[in-house]
Amino acid sequence: MIEHLATIERDAQGTSRVHQLDARVKILITFAAIISMVAMPYSTAIYPLAICWFGLFIVWWIFSDLSPRVFFWRYLMTLPFGMFIIIFQIFFKNPYYDVFTPIITLPFGISIFAESVEFATILALKFTACIIWVILLSSTTPMEDLLQGARRLGLPSVMALSLGMMIRYLFVFAEMYANINDALAVRHFNAFSRALSYHYRLKILAYTIGMMFLRSYEQGERTYIAMLCRGYGKDAYEHLEKKRLNGRDYSLIMSMVTIFCVTSTAVFLFWV
Amino acid sequence: MHIPDAFLPLWQSAIYWIVALVLIALALKWAKNELSEDKIPLVAVLSAGIFAIQAFNLPVAMGTSGHLVGGALAAIVLGSPYAAVFILTLVLIIQGIIFGDGGLTTMGVNILNMGVIGGFVGFYEYKTLSGAGLNRYASAGIVAWLACVIAAIAASLEMAIAGTFPLVPGLIAMGTYHVAIGVIEGIITAAAIYFIATARPDLLAENVTTEAAA
Repeated sequence: MIEHLATIERDAQGTSRVHQLDARVKILITFAAIISMVAMPYSTAIYPLAICWFGLFIVWWIFSDLSPRVFFWRYLMTLPFGMFIIIFQIFFKNPYYDVFTPIITLPFGISIFAESVEFATILALKFTACIIWVILLSSTTPMEDLLQGARRLGLPSVMALSLGMMIRYLFVFAEMYANINDALAVRHFNAFSRALSYHYRLKILAYTIGMMFLRSYEQGERTYIAMLCRGYGKDAYEHLEKKRLNGRDYSLIMSMVTIFCVTSTAVFLFWV
Repeated sequence: MHIPDAFLPLWQSAIYWIVALVLIALALKWAKNELSEDKIPLVAVLSAGIFAIQAFNLPVAMGTSGHLVGGALAAIVLGSPYAAVFILTLVLIIQGIIFGDGGLTTMGVNILNMGVIGGFVGFYEYKTLSGAGLNRYASAGIVAWLACVIAAIAASLEMAIAGTFPLVPGLIAMGTYHVAIGVIEGIITAAAIYFIATARPDLLAENVTTEAAA
């Protein structure tokens, strides 16, 4: 994950109309999209709602001037845990249905139920309709802008400061992680190789993690002292310059929030 | 272990968020009191470090892999369960917003599982075990294992309550898997504490407290 940090940040540095929007606008729109989707009950009403969300997302993505490949790559990165749960749904009954109809019966008493397949589809659509907005937000907003936007929306300054420092160190760690991985690869160390004893592999990984921590801490300490010398301090985010949203920002937020609320309410009333 | 958006109904996510916010407020209080100018790099680097060690895929069994949680490690190094809540909150914000790992509505529950359970189980069990005379590194290893397993069981229970994964298969899948990952988490945590205690003992909160008492 950490090795993709630079790529994500590079995409976020674009100059499209979506990139240029204030981070607060994108944060609020993302929250509105996700909350209104999560609020919808687990039912087939998710189908039309998800289609609406995908349509809106496609329009935003086109305006972001980012390639569809960027989106699919980012989407694939988010899949492992969610997809594991979604795929296994088809074998289990769940409390959202009363009757379960087996469509395939497998050995050892395992069955695939029509209702469970439907539930898995609903879950997959809901999950996807939420994650696409997070992908849009992070692909079009540099981390520092996100942080300042969150601070202006009320994120406590001590948390903003620590997040700001953490983001700086993440790049140090990403570089350190790549260097250490290269060093291990050059020495033909493979953590998954059965030719090496399990104890040895764990010992090397533990030392690697410890080494990465200490080297990054010492690098970070030096960087922080240098930052202090340039006037940066623990109150750096206490007095962030005030920046008012303009009329266009407000109207964009209001119209997107209205679209999300009206669409989900309409689907809930006429479909559920 | 990162529960994504849409896997819990909104009202349940809201309840977990409210509980998490109370603990985040206490963690912020800890941060305001304890985060002196010289500790900021340590907290930031520990947050980035936990983010990075979660990126290391560790071999479990049958070709599967898992990653560390790090809550116990943060609590032991900084000497407070609230440090783990604070640090894991930072890590989960970045993971959820930048990488889409975990979710925004489910961030509260993820903070409870990894930060609160990891931090509180890690810190208080560590104090109990090391106070009972058990070796520091063995204590760190045991509590890291325990924190990992309890957090995984909590995640299974939450998804069972939400109706998005049945309880028994969830406990078997998540529990068994994290019993194995927990062993690795325990070994790595013990080794990392050993490494820090050997190379930079001044970074461990308990060493600082002991020196101050002396």
